[in-house]
Amino acid sequence: MIVRLLEWLFLTIAPCDAAEPWQLGFQDAATPMMQGIIDLHHDIFFFLILILVFVLRILVRALWHFHYKKNPIPQRIVHGTTIEILWTIFPSIILMFIAIPSFALLYSMDEVVVDPAITIKAIGHQWYWTYEYSDYNSSDEQSLIFDSYMIPEDDLELGQLRLLEVDNRVVVPAKTHLRIIVTSADVLHSWAVPSLGVKCDAVPGRLNQISISVQREGVYYGQCSEICGTNHAFIVVEAVPRKDYGSRVSNQLIPQTGGA
Amino acid sequence: MAEAQSDKTPSLAEDYLLEKEKQDVATKPVEVKEVESAVTASSVEGATDKVEETPAAAAVEESKEDAPAPAPEESTEASSASPEDSTSDTAPAAAEESSETTEEENSGDQEASEETPEIKLETAPADFRFPTTNQTRHCFTRYIEYHRCVAAKGEGAPECDKFAKYYRALCPSDWIEKWNEQRENGTFPGPL
Repeated sequence: MIVRLLEWLFLTIAPCDAAEPWQLGFQDAATPMMQGIIDLHHDIFFFLILILVFVLRILVRALWHFHYKKNPIPQRIVHGTTIEILWTIFPSIILMFIAIPSFALLYSMDEVVVDPAITIKAIGHQWYWTYEYSDYNSSDEQSLIFDSYMIPEDDLELGQLRLLEVDNRVVVPAKTHLRIIVTSADVLHSWAVPSLGVKCDAVPGRLNQISISVQREGVYYGQCSEICGTNHAFIVVEAVPRKDYGSRVSNQLIPQTGGA
Repeated sequence: MAEAQSDKTPSLAEDYLLEKEKQDVATKPVEVKEVESAVTASSVEGATDKVEETPAAAAVEESKEDAPAPAPEESTEASSASPEDSTSDTAPAAAEESSETTEEENSGDQEASEETPEIKLETAPADFRFPTTNQTRHCFTRYIEYHRCVAAKGEGAPECDKFAKYYRALCPSDWIEKWNEQRENGTFPGPL
């Protein structure tokens, strides 16, 4: 009952880390970066609503008091120095209050504070992602490489999310500093996960780096964010931070290196 | 590789298994662990090497190797007639690069090792020559540094291992493959 009421009030109740039909707000933050983005959004919205209310008030007041029947000849003020100064200074102060936290967040987001513990390479293809873990190999050929395709709608099992589920998820450790190197093998793609506050263009011939630290375990969904061809909608990012990252990666890596 | 991979990665159904059921899946890799410990052992060796070098010692070593660097490098290359020597390796370029390697080795020392589960969580450190989002040159430079190191100190020199680790961590395997091919054909565009 309460859930229905809340649902009616807010149109939706956002699930943790995946998009929801008619969702208006953000997905829950899982990195300090996303938390910062949400906070900035709320900060700016404070000013936004203040300005909105103020402008609407002026607008309605003007329409009301200077109605052509009620007041056919409006007052003829040509110049007022005080008001001119006020409406120049005041907006610039507001802009400053918006700009300072915005730049602070922007620059802190691409700052690499500590040495990352692992590097994962995400390589965009038409239309799938290839992931490479190469921190543990002892030759050029032994990297742990796998492709990550979206599960087509017909193959979905009950409870899986349409257009969001992939066959091979990228597994990362939680609460660890990660370096993700994003590049592409054909056209422009963009590796994006909303809950992690990450959106990074994949450009062929260029390596873009993002550093993130996922704060909690879970499954995070995202989609390609650059129009990259007919199957653009079917290229999906799915990240799984886990505690047992080490054992999982070595389980996958060792049979390979042993066989090679 | 994709097919070999597919039976190793757990399916979605396996992913949703309860922890208890997962235990017996997890017991399997125990017998394989020896292989893995050998792998980590080699990387640990590399790490201890790094720790032993105090900055002063590193500096001494650097000064030793830097001063005569261009000459022996070229002589070894010329005598061995290895496939790498075909690139345009001019003396000024080599001298210019050697200053870069000093800076490089020092930054490599301050590498923090994090928690150690079964595998060692360790990768190329942040490099302040490449502070921006664009890391293309970072990867390329590490690749060149490794091959210059090998050219100077000989194949399999333990000092060069960390450069190999760095460039493998940073570069996509397609690029490495392409560059290796280019080196073999003598068409590699960088200063080796």
